[in-house]
Amino acid sequence: MDAPVLELKGLSVAFGGVRAVHGVDLTLARGELLGLIGPNGAGKSTLLNLISGAIAPTSGQILFNGRSIVGIAPDQLCHLGISRTFQNIRLFPRMTVFENVALGLHARPHYSLADAFFCTPRACRMDAAARERANGLLEQVGLEGLAGKRAGDLSYGLQRRLELVRAMATEPELLLLDEPAAGMNEDECEQLTRLIRRIHEEFHYGVILIEHHIKVVMELCRDSRIYVMNLGEILSSGSPRDIQSDPKVISAYLGEKRTSHGQTRRQLSRSR
Amino acid sequence: MVFFLQQLVSGISIGSIYALLAVGYALVYSVYNFTNWAFDAFMVTGAFAAFYGISLYAMPFPVAIAFSIVMTVALALVTETVAYRPLRAHNAPRLFMMISAMGASLAVVNIANLAFGGSFRKFPEITAGAYRLGGVSVGRMDLFAAGFACVMLCLLWLFLERTKFGLGVRASALDTVTAGIMGVNNNQVALIIFGISGVLSAVAGVFFGAKYAVYPYLGTVTIKAMIGSIIGGIGSLPGAVLGSLLLGILETMISSYISSVYRDLFSFSILVVMLLFFPSGLMGAKRVVKL
Amino acid sequence: MGYLSTICILSCINITAVLGLAVLTGYTGLFSIGHAGFMAIGAYSSAVLFLELNLPFWLVVPLGGLAAGCSSVIIGYPAFRGLGKLRGDYFAIATLGFSETVRLLLNNTYPHFGGAYGLTGIPPLTSLPVAAGVAVLALLGAHNLMTSQHGKNCVAVGQDEVAAQMMGVNLFTTKLKALFISAAYAGVAGALFGFYMTYLSPGNFGIGLSSDLLAAVVFGGMQSLIGPAVTAFLLVAIPEFLRFLVEWRLIIYGILFVVVMVYRPQGLLGYRDLDFSRFWRAVHGLRGRG
Repeated sequence: MDAPVLELKGLSVAFGGVRAVHGVDLTLARGELLGLIGPNGAGKSTLLNLISGAIAPTSGQILFNGRSIVGIAPDQLCHLGISRTFQNIRLFPRMTVFENVALGLHARPHYSLADAFFCTPRACRMDAAARERANGLLEQVGLEGLAGKRAGDLSYGLQRRLELVRAMATEPELLLLDEPAAGMNEDECEQLTRLIRRIHEEFHYGVILIEHHIKVVMELCRDSRIYVMNLGEILSSGSPRDIQSDPKVISAYLGEKRTSHGQTRRQLSRSR
Repeated sequence: MVFFLQQLVSGISIGSIYALLAVGYALVYSVYNFTNWAFDAFMVTGAFAAFYGISLYAMPFPVAIAFSIVMTVALALVTETVAYRPLRAHNAPRLFMMISAMGASLAVVNIANLAFGGSFRKFPEITAGAYRLGGVSVGRMDLFAAGFACVMLCLLWLFLERTKFGLGVRASALDTVTAGIMGVNNNQVALIIFGISGVLSAVAGVFFGAKYAVYPYLGTVTIKAMIGSIIGGIGSLPGAVLGSLLLGILETMISSYISSVYRDLFSFSILVVMLLFFPSGLMGAKRVVKL
Repeated sequence: MGYLSTICILSCINITAVLGLAVLTGYTGLFSIGHAGFMAIGAYSSAVLFLELNLPFWLVVPLGGLAAGCSSVIIGYPAFRGLGKLRGDYFAIATLGFSETVRLLLNNTYPHFGGAYGLTGIPPLTSLPVAAGVAVLALLGAHNLMTSQHGKNCVAVGQDEVAAQMMGVNLFTTKLKALFISAAYAGVAGALFGFYMTYLSPGNFGIGLSSDLLAAVVFGGMQSLIGPAVTAFLLVAIPEFLRFLVEWRLIIYGILFVVVMVYRPQGLLGYRDLDFSRFWRAVHGLRGRG
């Protein structure tokens, strides 16, 4: 059996007294597309921040390809194969679309400072190679026509797409998507769903997708699993159908139904 | 031993001046995550105002202090309104705010240089005299400075902990945006914070001028206050006081036991050491970046 | 003609130093008020190497730059390690402390470096061709650096360092590189300055000089090379023709800093080096780079 790309074991982080993430267990197989849903404040983004190295856990393990990655700096993790997008778009607004994507390719420069200063043939070759690859990536997502435009001038939907392709430029094994469909309407959501599905099928990334648009998640994860988080813990996991009918998930999203005696259903079941 | 105590007293004296400045700096920093480079200009204004108040208008010392506070607070409020607020409103990057602050500092300090000339002025002799305690000479001015600093810091503490305005300030220190939503008038809070910073800087300027001399570039001592604040933990008010006192004492010791040339070198080395090994300072909290 | 030559030489020296600061502040977004310190290190080390070890002029100037670049590690290493918004401010404070400390040390080194009396006996070897040549080289080099992968990383760090780190950019090494380059440029400029003035005094290298350099970058524009270069020239030339303004120089700069930041933070030519893309493409066309 193929070893999982990502394993979280008992992962917890607390800020002062607040337990943002508590005792989370999660596995992601190679090339799997996992959904992560839950109400606001459930700790989903915090979980992504933990995996991508932005914050350090207070306890628990994060294993990437069997190796612990706790304490490794985010830029190192990027080169190990973990890449992400952000809940609030974090493009480089004054750089062009092309430059945003190219950054992912040359975050670790391919030639020395001296090569750069003297503009040596080696530097020129490396630049040309990177340029080709970046243009290729832009073509993949249909942004090649806008390569020279400033990222800050793009429409919202296109910015989201740019963020996605920028994350792809680092050639990750694991792609963390934080609400890529936030603020999109129906059509845009459909476009995005198709794009993510196509990218996933072509490049076989492992993907963890946080989303509030349930349709998007259900559609993308219809052949795989979804994790549901609430209050920092994993509430439930399974196929889309399983979690849709899971009473715990329903009560977390929709609230509890009270009986005539004022007791909640959970209190009732506990007292039995 | 007497020599040691003497230097200790001297160190506490300069340390309390650093402390006044450092608290003003830390206050601004803890709320706005911003280094107020212009507070050397505040200090200079305070010193010159008091000096001219006494020498030209024969003000009694307390009146001179009050006058210098008024002038400095006015400058602080103008600086905040003109140089900082517009940038905060646009969410300008921190680099821009630093440049703007630097500009305010350059303008005011060099106006002082042009207007008053660069010569060193001594305060009139109202403030001389010393007490002797078991062989250790404690200048009247030094005692007054340390005592005044204590009183000011206690008043500040009372203000922050016990008044409604102080609550607004503390709320802003934790989270400016939320505080604004909860009804704290952010512009008012900004004025209060810079006003307090102005008061502290004015008093520091007066005492520094009285202890040493008054000249346009005396504001360069504010870097010591920044280092003191870093030692104590940037953003922490008690830390600023502690770090500044510590710095003042250690500096004076080095200066007298080794050489005065090495005093500033020592402070710079302390800065480097702190950054290398204790970036959060003695009492500072680590901050988490929110993504 | 000698008068014009003076303005040109000083302008070229200023341009060289300003280009370095543009890399650090304009592109990588790191505020420094201490580059006079790096100029001082370059000036004094090159002069001493020439006078004491009799090394040739064309060697001591780059060595001065190298000395300044290496010294930048003293503040770069402690200030850039670790994450957090604190770091930018720490670095700025450190640059101030560094520059003042350098001046202090130089003031107190009487026999070898002249101390407060200054260092004399430096031959006037910085002619107009030399200064102009260095300035042109500096401009081309800076352009190459900023259009290279290293430079793009600097720009990304300057715009959003957290996102840059998440995309794999090593913040520590990128900032160190930018600092080293800017310090080396300042060091070379300082060396040329020494061999022009024939006399060095620590008083030359105070906050006023650092503010002059910063002014050229702020007014010339962020993320631009031509802007600061042109402004560097103007800030040398204009005071020569408007002598009565010289006393007011720093006051005017101070006020302009605030005004520019509030009303036109991009300065003269900020973010618009692309306007010269046709020029640069011609230059690169000559060298075979697309």
